[in-house]
Amino acid sequence: MTQALTVQNLTAHYGATKVLEDLSLSVGKGELVSLLGASGCGKTTTLRLIAGFLEPTSGSIRLGDKDLTRLPAYKRDIGLVFQNYALFPHLSVLDNVGFGLKQRGVAPADREKRAKAMLERVGLAQLADRLPGALSGGQKQRVALARALVIEPPLLMFDEPLSNLDAKLRVDMRVEIRQLQRANGTTSVYVTHDQEEAFSISDRVAIMNAGRIMQFDTPETLYQRPANAFVARFVGFENLIPMKAVARDGATVTAEAAGGARLKLSQERFGEIADSFVLATRADGLAVSTDAKDEGIPATLGLRTYLGRAYQYQADSAAGQLIANGSLSAPLEPGAEAKLMPVPDQCCVLKPE
Amino acid sequence: MKASKPRKAVNPGAARPRQLEENFMLKRFAGWWLAGPATLAVLVFLILPVAATIATTFGDDGGIFAPYIAFFNSGFRRAVLWRTIEISLATTAISLVVGFLTAYVVSKSPGKLKSLLIIAAVFPLLTGVVVRSFAWLIILGKNGILNNFLVGIGAISEPLSMLYTQGSVIVAMVYLFVPLMILTLVGVLENIPDDIVQASSSLGATPAATFRQVILPLAVPGLIVGAVLVFTGSFTAYATPQLLGGERQMVMGTLMYQRAMVSFDWVGASTIAAIMVVITVTVVLAMSRVARRLNPMAT
Repeated sequence: MTQALTVQNLTAHYGATKVLEDLSLSVGKGELVSLLGASGCGKTTTLRLIAGFLEPTSGSIRLGDKDLTRLPAYKRDIGLVFQNYALFPHLSVLDNVGFGLKQRGVAPADREKRAKAMLERVGLAQLADRLPGALSGGQKQRVALARALVIEPPLLMFDEPLSNLDAKLRVDMRVEIRQLQRANGTTSVYVTHDQEEAFSISDRVAIMNAGRIMQFDTPETLYQRPANAFVARFVGFENLIPMKAVARDGATVTAEAAGGARLKLSQERFGEIADSFVLATRADGLAVSTDAKDEGIPATLGLRTYLGRAYQYQADSAAGQLIANGSLSAPLEPGAEAKLMPVPDQCCVLKPE
Repeated sequence: MKASKPRKAVNPGAARPRQLEENFMLKRFAGWWLAGPATLAVLVFLILPVAATIATTFGDDGGIFAPYIAFFNSGFRRAVLWRTIEISLATTAISLVVGFLTAYVVSKSPGKLKSLLIIAAVFPLLTGVVVRSFAWLIILGKNGILNNFLVGIGAISEPLSMLYTQGSVIVAMVYLFVPLMILTLVGVLENIPDDIVQASSSLGATPAATFRQVILPLAVPGLIVGAVLVFTGSFTAYATPQLLGGERQMVMGTLMYQRAMVSFDWVGASTIAAIMVVITVTVVLAMSRVARRLNPMAT
């Protein structure tokens, strides 16, 4: 039976170094949650703590109404898929998949039947008698997946399962993982450093940095409404422009950037806007204009790159280095003077760092 | 040579075909040149003498297998052969168990402690076989450390005669060969990835089940190499059985020495040598077969 996972106030140390600080996370029944972040952010540590390979300094881990915190790994009943597959090299594919059932005392005949059925589901029934050494990377990961699924764990965890596969296979496999996870309705924790991978298959994503969760939300919210500068940069808001509120009229705030560009922002849309804040936009959210009458942050354009749908400019401005996308119909040369105007629809209002 | 087909130079700056060919030949045979001296040494100093020794055993008087028939007709010599096999098997079995458990602990130790433990294990190897065997004379003798201790605490009233028994030879040989076993196995156990052990426990295997179903099978290649090293070493040992077994616990090595240097029975000694070579080779082959059966990954 699948279960909800609740992690509360988890703190962990490697020796004297604190690697995880007061981390709380809850994963609903049947939900797939990704832990996303650069290496060293604590995502793998979190997974290893939940799996029982590490002991937390403090905090608790619960699966359904079972307290896992001090339980040894082999009693936790968690299906794990490893980055390096971690198949048993001396056992056939079938015996690899049947390994967990064997530990649960399932009779050999039944074990074989269930392992075969699971191999059928991942499309590897014809390779049942092979040794792992004779499989390709994608096949190995399917076996690893089958091995974790066949024990019908209440929780399934993935540790960068696709990092060792080539790009095309990665996309196919992640769809397959998501389909199997959906079909079984298994609560899942998925660790990855690949944003596209995390966003594409997760119900919710926890973006981590330095042992903390920076934001835990649906991919859509993370992508459009990052809660802080770290997450904004992480999801591709290239421009973080410091602004000051200079006038307030009801719900509308007039804000000014360095260089004098003014724009009106609605508090109905952005929530309460402080006197001093950061406006975050992607390159698409900065309009490029060469008309001297237009308002905007004055900037000198630098390197131009071709993106296919637009030209992208590196620009020097009073508000710092900015990146803006200009139209294909009017390419501008390096050195040109332009005005860069944030498009409110594509902006986020953040607290200053 | 197939590769000597002339090739056209693609551009004037490229190496000429002749030169390419020479480089190719050099590379192809470089390996052989490098292995040459060692190969020659093995051929001249090992294979030829062994062949010559064995050749002398196929006697002309009394039939071609006469020396072998004589060997196996002698109850005493059969007993020596059997004792040697018994001692070597016991030594190998005990070394396997002791070595494996120790190696497991060593391989699980954190970095610094691990180096220290390995040094401790290797340390006895720095002294000679005779010195190490002699140490056991002092420990096991009538007035030795062990007897004095046992009498001292009142466990026994009379000193036991522990020397010149099969047990004393086995104990000393285990002591001699365990470091070899530990070194072999630490390397093998360290190569078992943590991931695999963790995968096993995540699938519900208790530590004992993981040990039996994952670690042990993956260590089989190392166990076989270690067993072969210890078996051949103890089967052909001379100094240790001579010092600790004496005349009473004669083994093939000491018997051969006696035939050659005391009785000047060179054919008899060569026959013993030939039997030892055959048994050693048979055991090595048999063990690699066992290895292949237990672990399909082993070659």
